[in-house]
Amino acid sequence: MLKIENLHAEIDGKEILKGLSLTVNAGEIHAIMGPNGAGKSTLGYVLGGRPGYEVTAGSITFNGQDLLELEPHQRAAAGVFLGFQYPVEIPGVSNVQFLREALNAQRATREEKPLSGAEFLKLAREEARKLDMDAEMLKRPVNVGFSGGEKKRNEMVQMGIVNPRFAILDETDSGLDIDALRIVGDGINRIMRAPDKAVLLITHYQRLLDYVQPDVVHVLADGRIVRSGGADLAHELEREGYAQVTA
Amino acid sequence: MSLIELPSTREEEWRWADPEAIAAAASLPWSDATENAADWWIDLPGARIVVRDGVVDQAASTLDRVTLRSIEAGDHALGQRATGPGWSLHLDTDAAAHPVQIVHISTGGANHLPSEIVLADDAVAQVVETYVGAGWANRYLRVTLGATARLMRSVRLLQAGGFTSLREDAALGTGASLVTIFLGAGQAGTRIDATIVAGAGAFADYGGALLTAGDQRQECAVAVRHAEPHGSSQQVWRAVAADRSTASLAARVEVARDAQKTDGVQSLRGLLLKRTATVNLKPELEIFADDVKCAHGATVGELDARALFYMQSRGIPHARAQALLTTAFVADALDRIGDNTVRAAFSADAETWLDGAL
Ligand SMILES: Nc1ncnc2c1ncn2[C@@H]1O[C@H](COP(=O)(O)OP(=O)(O)O)[C@@H](O)[C@H]1O
Ligand SMILES: [Mg+2]
Repeated sequence: MLKIENLHAEIDGKEILKGLSLTVNAGEIHAIMGPNGAGKSTLGYVLGGRPGYEVTAGSITFNGQDLLELEPHQRAAAGVFLGFQYPVEIPGVSNVQFLREALNAQRATREEKPLSGAEFLKLAREEARKLDMDAEMLKRPVNVGFSGGEKKRNEMVQMGIVNPRFAILDETDSGLDIDALRIVGDGINRIMRAPDKAVLLITHYQRLLDYVQPDVVHVLADGRIVRSGGADLAHELEREGYAQVTA
Repeated sequence: MSLIELPSTREEEWRWADPEAIAAAASLPWSDATENAADWWIDLPGARIVVRDGVVDQAASTLDRVTLRSIEAGDHALGQRATGPGWSLHLDTDAAAHPVQIVHISTGGANHLPSEIVLADDAVAQVVETYVGAGWANRYLRVTLGATARLMRSVRLLQAGGFTSLREDAALGTGASLVTIFLGAGQAGTRIDATIVAGAGAFADYGGALLTAGDQRQECAVAVRHAEPHGSSQQVWRAVAADRSTASLAARVEVARDAQKTDGVQSLRGLLLKRTATVNLKPELEIFADDVKCAHGATVGELDARALFYMQSRGIPHARAQALLTTAFVADALDRIGDNTVRAAFSADAETWLDGAL
């Protein structure tokens, strides 16, 4: 589904990703772990197409398509979802308006017909309920005044609504208490665990992986994948620390 | 044709003024292609007044409670030119009129029209004005509100070219309320001048959104004067400037020595859609009383790049994301329009402007 080859990327002329290669097949969940500053979020942003993140070498192919040729919104329409480490507040734009615009824009790009207001609201309420988010929060401006945990839960509600084929979830577990972690973990499994979908789960800690079992675990350090293994690798990292494992 | 004479731009109130643009508007040739008032009515009951080149077109208008009479326009540099025959809305104590809509159509050259709104104690009125066409439309308005009278005004400046200049003097009686919200979303130059004097416990909400593009310049210079205690006022202005345009907001709150317990809020914010655009902000507080609450803020910035990318990453195209963020920015001002139908019409005009500018 996703094939990254020898990816080099820089921000403000500083190279952050230094020859990263990674293949994710349909039906798989991959975890990416690594020390702070390793380039995990940078990888997410490059996949999402954030301006200022310049790819200087390498390729990213998504379902046979050159992902780097697509505008960010076209990547979303193609089925890529980026769950943000720091979800952005948007004063004056309600969650409902934002998500309906987003979903219908994706549908328009895919030449599907738009959902009506009523159809959309039903879908949004259903997703909010499944992720234990108060439906009232859908009316509030996007992420404004939300706690860290509420923002992360809102990312999952959004993911449920747009129903992507491939999700990059950047530290979706940070800021969550143990109950929320379980709800979010269940959400990831429910929405994304399917033969035609895949997930790149960026996390700093092992604890989310207790709820979402990864098929493959990678260690990212200094802009490259330095080790890959099974679910056991996460436990090893937790026990021995990154320094030991990446040495 | 000689330039329109204005006080020197060295004078504070006129520092961003653009007399050349007024002169150019005044010398625009008359055109046969005229706007149709029918295109501009908002779906409201009540008076519908068509003003063509500064003259009330009685045959095309439903005056309802509006009358025509001669009005003295005072001595303001621009406003004084509008002395003479004009329109007047007088309401007696407790009266509540249907809304009054006025569509001002200019076809070229210069036109001047004075007006007055006089509400006796407890009277209530709503006035919606729309400016279309081209040329120089110059207006004077005097508002006199009796005790606890209430006036809601919404003004959209949608001229395709030329200049619109508005001079307003308002006097608010005890406990009276005046809400005036402007939307500048045309291609003409704009100058809004106003002085509002608020009596004891009176409330003035005076603000709006000026959206500029191309080489356009729009500006306001507004002062709210609290003469007596317990008054409150809001001045919420939003400026959005694209291309090489300039929007200037000068808003002043004056609190007289006796006007204790005044509560004034002033919020001036500018949004630059291009680095080549300019927004000038000049918030001013002049406070002579000691027990008052006046909050003010003035900021100019660009659209939040993080928010833009967040929206794009959810599937919203760049231009649409810009439009959504800009609409939200402008809504701070337009949301103050109390009438849903009017607010929706103004928001739609702002959206139309955004579609063209982004
Ligand atoms: N906007 C930026 N400008 C310059 N350097 C940046 C910027 N964002 C991140 N970096 C640098 O890129 C490196 C990787 O950051 P990041 O991808 O956020 O790491 P991680 O998510 O693994 O903690 C860090 O050294 C960080 O300082
Ligand atoms: Mg990170």
